[in-house]
Amino acid sequence: MPSIRRGAAVGFRRPYNPPVPPAPSTAPMVSLSFTGVRRRFGRLSVLAGVSGAAGAGQVLVVTGPNGSGKSTLLRCLAGLLAPDAGEIEHREAGSEPLTAAERRLRVGYVAPDLALYEELSTAENLDFFARLRRVPATRGGELLDLLSLPRGRAAGALSSGMRQKLRWAWALLHRPRLLLLDEPFQNLDTGGEAVVRALLAEHLAGGGAAALAQPVEVTVADDWQVAEHVELAG
Amino acid sequence: MSNWLAEVAAVFAKDWKSEARTRYALNTLGLFALSTLVLVSVGLGPMGVDAAGAEVLPFLLWIVLLFAATAGLPRAFVHEEETHTAIALRLAARPSTVFWGKLSFALSLTWALEALVAPLFLALVQLEVAAPWAFVAGLAAGGFGLAAASTVIAAIAAQARGRSTLFAVLSFPILIPLLLLVVELTRAALAGDAAPMVLRQLLLYDGAVAVAGAMLFPAIWNP
Repeated sequence: MPSIRRGAAVGFRRPYNPPVPPAPSTAPMVSLSFTGVRRRFGRLSVLAGVSGAAGAGQVLVVTGPNGSGKSTLLRCLAGLLAPDAGEIEHREAGSEPLTAAERRLRVGYVAPDLALYEELSTAENLDFFARLRRVPATRGGELLDLLSLPRGRAAGALSSGMRQKLRWAWALLHRPRLLLLDEPFQNLDTGGEAVVRALLAEHLAGGGAAALAQPVEVTVADDWQVAEHVELAG
Repeated sequence: MSNWLAEVAAVFAKDWKSEARTRYALNTLGLFALSTLVLVSVGLGPMGVDAAGAEVLPFLLWIVLLFAATAGLPRAFVHEEETHTAIALRLAARPSTVFWGKLSFALSLTWALEALVAPLFLALVQLEVAAPWAFVAGLAAGGFGLAAASTVIAAIAAQARGRSTLFAVLSFPILIPLLLLVVELTRAALAGDAAPMVLRQLLLYDGAVAVAGAMLFPAIWNP
């Protein structure tokens, strides 16, 4: 059964984490909640009324077997798919709930089906998206250095682990308040996973929130606050 | 430069950079245009403006341009969907900037194609243009219509499975009025008539397609 593992080194396992209230030091910079989200593809019902929430500094963990709808849920949260029913509320800095169009431009998204331009170098890719997101061009270089990615290599010539790091760099480029992470540690080696986990911890410590989907158990660092564990049935 | 224009320019520059590396659309457009031009010139020989030349040749010129453009222009969107880069683009750019950036790229490709094909065509069939400015205006306005319509149709077709079929089916009713207008304008230009009424109709078509495309695009591009 999918589960959350807290403190990988200690090996302490908890099959279910009860909701944890947001830390008092992190004002409601960001909040995500969704209730009764349903989505069908033709006759196939993928999401049948899923609910969950996460506040500033918190992680919402979504687990479930392949085909249980984890990616579909994250796409709905990102505004890439419209749910057939249900409410999705994403607020930033006490704002009104963002529309789907606003959510798309605000979230940071890491997913296996996200690809960058293979014919462009890593730096050119991030430079292009930095121009679209109106962030300084230097931000892309900083992230590439942090993730130990070569600047001049074409994205199409990267290994699968490096591609995953590039997805992380792309997702963090505009310093999003909400990260939507679909199998975010896929293909990463130990060092790479440690780096992205540190980036995630920094994001949470800064008052950001995240929704993390994994098909199997999730290893949760001790300093993460797990808001909720949504377990999807296959 | 405003933020909006800067984003449009970024999409335009990215598309050209990608195209310069892959040359997919350039090769398709260029090879299709040159091979059909050679076929036409070898098949017809030098017809000139007399005889049936002035009647038939404008059609042939625009058929070459139309098919070359429709073979290469849809790549801008189809490539984004096929390589899954459309997701990153959807999450980073406003739909309007994607639409105008892609349209600018398609327009620059179409105008480059026309700049290559039209003089070659005139030379190969030894055709003289009596009203060159009207001829150029027809190419410019016709090229805009072709690029705008292709951009909208490609955006719709790229979402579907049977992309090629859908593109052809959608192109037929949308591009036929453009083709008829632009052939009429080219024919008039060859005869020395500026045909201002036809040019106005063509510009109206261009405006209508561009405005309808800009309004429809957010719904096409996003769920």
